[in-house]
Amino acid sequence: MDGPHDLGGQDGLGPVDVDAPEFRHDWERRMWAISQTDTFPGGGSIDAWRHTLEHMVPEHYRSAPYFEKWCMQHMCIAVRDCGAGVDDMVARASDAAVMPQTPADTPVMGADYVETRVAQKDVSFARDVDQPPAFAVGDRVVTLETSHPGHTRLPAFARGATGEIIAHHGGHAYPDASAEGEERGEHLYTVRFAARDLWAEADARDVVCLDLWEPYLVSP
Amino acid sequence: MGFDADKTAAIHAELHSHLPSDPALRVKALESLWIERGWVARETIDNWVEAYSERIGPKRGAEVVAKAWVDPGFRERLLADAGAPVRELGYGGHATGHLKAVENSASAHHLVVCTLCSCYPFAILGMSPIWYRSSAYRARAVKEPRAVLDEFGVTLPEDVGVTVWDSTAELRYLVVPERPAGTEGWDEARLAALVTRNSMIGTERDLKVDL
Repeated sequence: MDGPHDLGGQDGLGPVDVDAPEFRHDWERRMWAISQTDTFPGGGSIDAWRHTLEHMVPEHYRSAPYFEKWCMQHMCIAVRDCGAGVDDMVARASDAAVMPQTPADTPVMGADYVETRVAQKDVSFARDVDQPPAFAVGDRVVTLETSHPGHTRLPAFARGATGEIIAHHGGHAYPDASAEGEERGEHLYTVRFAARDLWAEADARDVVCLDLWEPYLVSP
Repeated sequence: MGFDADKTAAIHAELHSHLPSDPALRVKALESLWIERGWVARETIDNWVEAYSERIGPKRGAEVVAKAWVDPGFRERLLADAGAPVRELGYGGHATGHLKAVENSASAHHLVVCTLCSCYPFAILGMSPIWYRSSAYRARAVKEPRAVLDEFGVTLPEDVGVTVWDSTAELRYLVVPERPAGTEGWDEARLAALVTRNSMIGTERDLKVDL
């Protein structure tokens, strides 16, 4: 989809805040913890989660701190998939709202859980693909010129561009299908583009590499 | 099943227009629901906040880099497929299921970005810095990497080409910076202390050695 998240190559965003820390506020740390520790039942695949985030109010996406985006994503999924109510969320957000007690049957995880949970998330996205790869390392390929309204991982700046395959990673879960609830593997390649083939004003010495699935690519 | 885009956008719009604008209150509301539903215990959140930055961080990545500097066999395996050797060290995990290490040299500099979201190899670098997740970095690192590097104080020699890696798939990137001169004979622990988080993202190039 052409959404606010597709930022690569946009101008006018000012300098990078190079000294910024990992977190500035306690609520950011808590949002991070909630997103990593829960046993939340909704949302679907990682691609469906990302696609939900991409549907934030565009001007809010542009201005919100990063972890507020995650908060909106989680809240939206709770309302959409888990029966939470918007009015209920608004009431909980009031200054006066009291935080509920943890129900007695909710397990409490200690500090060691951090390492366990991080290790548990060593997940493979490799998937079988029936057909052999259409391209090989060294092949020139052209990316699609158009996108579709769903989730995709071909950024706008790399559409209609010619590059060279420098690696084939076998079949990987295809995000465009996975966001729609369909688990399907497609061949994944790393494609190298001369920076000048993406932006005329780029430096001739530079290249940009992207990991792109076979349906994004055609022969020149 | 399928993804209901209209419904998703409508819920976002409704939430955003009715909730108070303070993100701290928004996260408070989320935490309240999560606790009440039993999706997470409040104490677990507290414990996570307390422990994460201590236990998961760039020291893991630095150890990987230092080992690659002193052990040619490890370096070779790391550059071929970084996932397995990182797992051997016990550091496999969140967002390192597929990992590629890319090595700087006298003529090559590597820089990592995620233009579409904020993909990052959490298990070996910890939480990403705010700038890595910022719109400015995500927009500019692919198009004008040299200007971005300049803001980080990195000036590249004339004959160095920049390779920018945009993390568009579930493959994460680790930059292996060059081993600084004057560190011959150092052990891994001493070398690892030189390796910064930014050097493993590519926004720092020449590691500092305090002799």
